[in-house]
Amino acid sequence: MKLITAVIKPFKLDDVKAALQAFGVHGLTVTEASGYGRQRGHTEVYRGAEYQVDLVPKVRVEVLCEDEDAEDLIGVVVKAAQTGRIGDGKVWSVPVETIVRVRTGERGPDAL
Amino acid sequence: MTSFAADRARRTTQVDRWLAELLGAEPGVALVAVGGYGRKELLPRSDLDVLLLHGGRDDIAAIADRIWYPVWDSGVELDHAVRTVPQARRMARADLKVALGLLSARHVAGDPDLTERLRAGALEDWRSAAPARLAELHASHDERTRTSGELAFLLEPDLKEARGGLRDVHAIQAVAAAWVAPAPGPKVRTAYEQILDARHALHEVTGRRLDRLVLEEQDEVARALGLLDGDVLLRMLAGAARTVVYAVDHAFRQADRLRGQRRLRRRRAERRPLADGVVEQDGEVVLARVADPAHDPTLVLRAAAAAAQAGLPLAPRTLDRLTECPPLPVPWPTAARDSLLSLLGAGQAAVSVWEALDTEGLVTALIPDWERVRNRPQRNPLHTFTVDRHLAEAAAHAAELTREVARPDLLLLAALLHDIGKGWPGDHSVTGEVVARDVGRRMGLPAADVDLVASAVRLHLLLPMVATRRDLDDPVTVKQVATAVRSRALLELLHALAIADGLATGPAAWNDWKATLVADLVGRVAAALDGDPMPGPAPLREDQLALAAAGDPAATVRGSEVTVVAPDRPGLLWRAAGVLASHRLAVRSANATSIGNIAVTVFDVEPEFGDPPDAALVVADLRRMLMGRLDVEDRLDRRARAARPSGAAVPAPKVTLVDDASDTATVVEVRAHDAPGLLWRVGRALGECGLNVRAARVETLGAEVVDVFYVTDGDGKPLAGEDMRRATTHSVLAALGDLTPNRWSGHNSRAAGSGPDPGTTDRSVAWCCV
Repeated sequence: MKLITAVIKPFKLDDVKAALQAFGVHGLTVTEASGYGRQRGHTEVYRGAEYQVDLVPKVRVEVLCEDEDAEDLIGVVVKAAQTGRIGDGKVWSVPVETIVRVRTGERGPDAL
Repeated sequence: MTSFAADRARRTTQVDRWLAELLGAEPGVALVAVGGYGRKELLPRSDLDVLLLHGGRDDIAAIADRIWYPVWDSGVELDHAVRTVPQARRMARADLKVALGLLSARHVAGDPDLTERLRAGALEDWRSAAPARLAELHASHDERTRTSGELAFLLEPDLKEARGGLRDVHAIQAVAAAWVAPAPGPKVRTAYEQILDARHALHEVTGRRLDRLVLEEQDEVARALGLLDGDVLLRMLAGAARTVVYAVDHAFRQADRLRGQRRLRRRRAERRPLADGVVEQDGEVVLARVADPAHDPTLVLRAAAAAAQAGLPLAPRTLDRLTECPPLPVPWPTAARDSLLSLLGAGQAAVSVWEALDTEGLVTALIPDWERVRNRPQRNPLHTFTVDRHLAEAAAHAAELTREVARPDLLLLAALLHDIGKGWPGDHSVTGEVVARDVGRRMGLPAADVDLVASAVRLHLLLPMVATRRDLDDPVTVKQVATAVRSRALLELLHALAIADGLATGPAAWNDWKATLVADLVGRVAAALDGDPMPGPAPLREDQLALAAAGDPAATVRGSEVTVVAPDRPGLLWRAAGVLASHRLAVRSANATSIGNIAVTVFDVEPEFGDPPDAALVVADLRRMLMGRLDVEDRLDRRARAARPSGAAVPAPKVTLVDDASDTATVVEVRAHDAPGLLWRVGRALGECGLNVRAARVETLGAEVVDVFYVTDGDGKPLAGEDMRRATTHSVLAALGDLTPNRWSGHNSRAAGSGPDPGTTDRSVAWCCV
């Protein structure tokens, strides 16, 4: 199983949600996040030194899936989140050892 | 509504019988029910509060085991104690909770004399230490309010601990037990039964000992009570809680008075005037002897504003008398609108005053549409409060943002009305605009202002929606918002309103993340909109032009309008304001302009208290001032009294220098909370920087002031150097920082001249500049 994490522009959340739903993903976790990548937020020069003054608001979406779906899912998210401009975000996946559904105690793919 | 009272009585009788059997016939021992069990209020999941009382038997441990074990085995939660009468009394003296429990002690089994000795002793202890114990009780009430909030306005209230909940009724009973206030009346007892039944149903429905009525249980609990749905339940609870709050506040006031009696006996009750017909007495706001509610429709709002600004409660008998006030004429007089704004501008202090007015039905008398949002719950996981309280809270948060907008008055009104449409079916932004427009007209706002408030209500969700859901880098997004908003004035209002609304909704609705996005959007839209022109002085009328053309120094008073004409020279504006202040005239607005070298200043004034002063005297003083034969500062100095801190927390003043507003002068905009001496000090500060005021527009909006000064440097040019600009901002801010709300001879002057600080004043400088 894999955990797919996407950090995207906030306004793209609805598109990504719709795309994931169409793909057949039933659950996801959304967190309000802030950060910067190559776009570096907004920088300012103060007495010769460059200071990071702003973190850019982003949305972090997390989805659990089976190994064989991971690549497709990443593709779906990237397609939905893309504007082609700087600051579009990142998507990555990591392997997951165990998943338990709290209510029933189901484990593994059954808990997805 | 279904009552569970019979169920509670039956359960209590059963438990009583069971415990009596367990105890059997033992001499010198008694079983006493305390707390809720003592009050015969056993809910399905209540625990048993039982005291095993004895006269000093050695084998008491064995008797206790005989009773406690079967109770434990049955699965019932047991709160137990084994004590002698002196031990129990000692415990109660040390611990408020124990003392309160003993006040409801009830004999269950065994030796009734023993129980009676405990009851009488506990009551005696309670009464003899009443001042200290009641203070403790009051403090615990305040602590509960802090942690659990208010039952009437929370969407997931704690029925027991919240303010207005069950514990508050127990507190009233405890105050009554000390013979300080009467026992709860029939209204409070009914309210208590309603809340208790709701808690009973909550136990019944969830099968757990819960006190917090969470959203997901509300419909089920309502059904168990025979009510339509959760909304009906919450409205009923809000009504009950308000009744309890009113009674508990009254009980605590009586208790506090008892405590204060010894201290107060020495000095006479002091009455301090706060506004026309309104005075402070004993930490409460009451009506002055001259006040005439039956013929004074604006008195309600005036008294409320005075109370909120002073951070004091309105006395219950005053609230009662205020209901005699006739309804406000429609459209409202300016004074009523100003008072409302001054009330709302007081921030958090306004919320409790607003609630007090609402309890007496005075809010719905002012704004009939309020009835539709009153006690209205909202099914939304983001919201903490009922709609009415959310509106009052939003206005309180808006009061913190009054420096961020050019029109603080409209921001406060928009915040108070932004969700008023929730009382009607359909999109509340759309229905709200209609209601807000109607309310604005009733209040007598100018048409342009009505438009702004109504638009702010219609668009109050636009910025947060777009900022979180649309691409801010896309020029189309910015263009669409700019098209909808159309002016920077409205954009500013919407930005502040979004923050106030978010903060008043709950912790989940507003955070830095959202604030950053909204601020980003606002910045982009502002760049796409043209700046609004700075307000300049209003054009002069024919008669004023004629006076100026005559060129002679002159002063006239016509109704509330005071006109001063003189050859232009520094210091004219604020010295004239000082003269008016010395006659207890508050400056509501001022317009200073010049024609050639003749300066024309028009003030709109209102008397602080009662009748206006003799116009002839005012004119005479103004003429003496123009001839340089009146030392206003000296006069105001003598008037100055020790500063009294205002009760309301107000945001810090803001000073902005605007360059692109005028080619010939620099515009200094000052936004601040109104206080005596404001115009005086700002004017003098500008003078100390060597600046001349060419024109000015001074406006008091409720309790907030927005002043615009067109200034030039010594050479008659706009301010150039950065040092000069910084120094100007600093000295004006410093002058405003000195402004503690002074009150002369107990009077509250609105906008002009208090005693200047002699330590920092160089009079000759003050004279020749500005």
